[in-house]
Amino acid sequence: MEQEQLFPLLCQTADGKREAFAELYEITSPQIYAVVLKMLKRKELAEEATQDAFIKIWHNAGSYQRNKGTVLTWMVSIARYRALDLMRYHSIRNEVVLEDESGPPGDAGEASLPTSEQKKLDECMDELDQQQRQAIHLAYFNGLSHHEVVKHLSSPLGTIKSWIRRGLQSLQRCLSI
Amino acid sequence: MNYLKEELRNALAAEYVLGTLRGKARLRYQKLMMESQTISETTWMWEQYLNGLGQTVPPVKPPQKVWSLIEQKLGFIDAPATDDNVVSLYRRRSKVWRTFSGVAAAAALVIAVLWGTSIPPEVIAPTHVAVVNDEEAKPLWLIEVSEQMLTVRSTDVLQARADKDYELWMVPANGEAPISLGLLPEGGRWERNTPAILLQPAIAALAVSLEPPGGSPTGAPSEVLYISPLVSV
Repeated sequence: MEQEQLFPLLCQTADGKREAFAELYEITSPQIYAVVLKMLKRKELAEEATQDAFIKIWHNAGSYQRNKGTVLTWMVSIARYRALDLMRYHSIRNEVVLEDESGPPGDAGEASLPTSEQKKLDECMDELDQQQRQAIHLAYFNGLSHHEVVKHLSSPLGTIKSWIRRGLQSLQRCLSI
Repeated sequence: MNYLKEELRNALAAEYVLGTLRGKARLRYQKLMMESQTISETTWMWEQYLNGLGQTVPPVKPPQKVWSLIEQKLGFIDAPATDDNVVSLYRRRSKVWRTFSGVAAAAALVIAVLWGTSIPPEVIAPTHVAVVNDEEAKPLWLIEVSEQMLTVRSTDVLQARADKDYELWMVPANGEAPISLGLLPEGGRWERNTPAILLQPAIAALAVSLEPPGGSPTGAPSEVLYISPLVSV
């Protein structure tokens, strides 16, 4: 899923071209759906989040700018925010089965090929302390709140907040080099 | 608190994107983004940093019905007859406006009858009324505007929804954005001082939108369900 492929489709979507929007959906929806399904766990909610996200993408295609990230990053942002909203509305309490830090699969081969930006992100995530990485993963992939991360990692709230805060700071330092 | 301080700005943006900024703090942050370009740009930067992670999740194809529902909601295809009332503004608006004049006349008649029988004589007479009807022209809310009070009563036809709220909007005639008049009751009666904006003549209509609990998160209607004329009596 390259920017070069998705950007023209998004431009045509902004121009009201339904076929381009359908193609954009065809290419990106499996990634969007996978992200929200992992957060929401329940299929019907993940379907709702995907649906709402694409409706928003159709209406807001014209407001995309390159400094908002790649097209796919921008779309993932929209979908994740919607999933977080749905979690709040449905008062979802997250129960996660911890599997290998509950992060992304070690083998990313099934997902789209990593871009250079993603490789850099992986490297920077690897540089974090294991606890920091684990806390950020739980929050990002499973949509856990600070309190929910506390439950899963059995550490005090202050410690969890500090792992996440410091982890994010280190990540920024690494990514901005 | 100085939100422009770089370190704090980054910390808030990062936790907003990550999703650990919750509750009222999250809502406050969304408001800050609307007010400050710097805060918006910091947020976008963090979206670029973190949302690459989402692309490491192995893709899962969504069921076919998801696309069909998107097409329906965007008005690309007609909804099946069994579809619920909740359709996006995009396709509903034109439909609602098409039937507008007929409904307006009927609404005025219905409200005249209802109003005549239900308001005690000591209540200050409304100057304007509106009936919000569903697709089958069954009244859901009766709205009365007097110089002092805005009164809304829900009818028995209305089905309360636990997961959503209904919000009332004034649609200005000059085409400007709708102005919120507050959340509608999902049972019984609701009364408040008439907002000054409702007493001006340039009102195109009242609209009702479907919103997450607590009302529109953006200040604009999320999903307009019904539009009703406000007629003078």
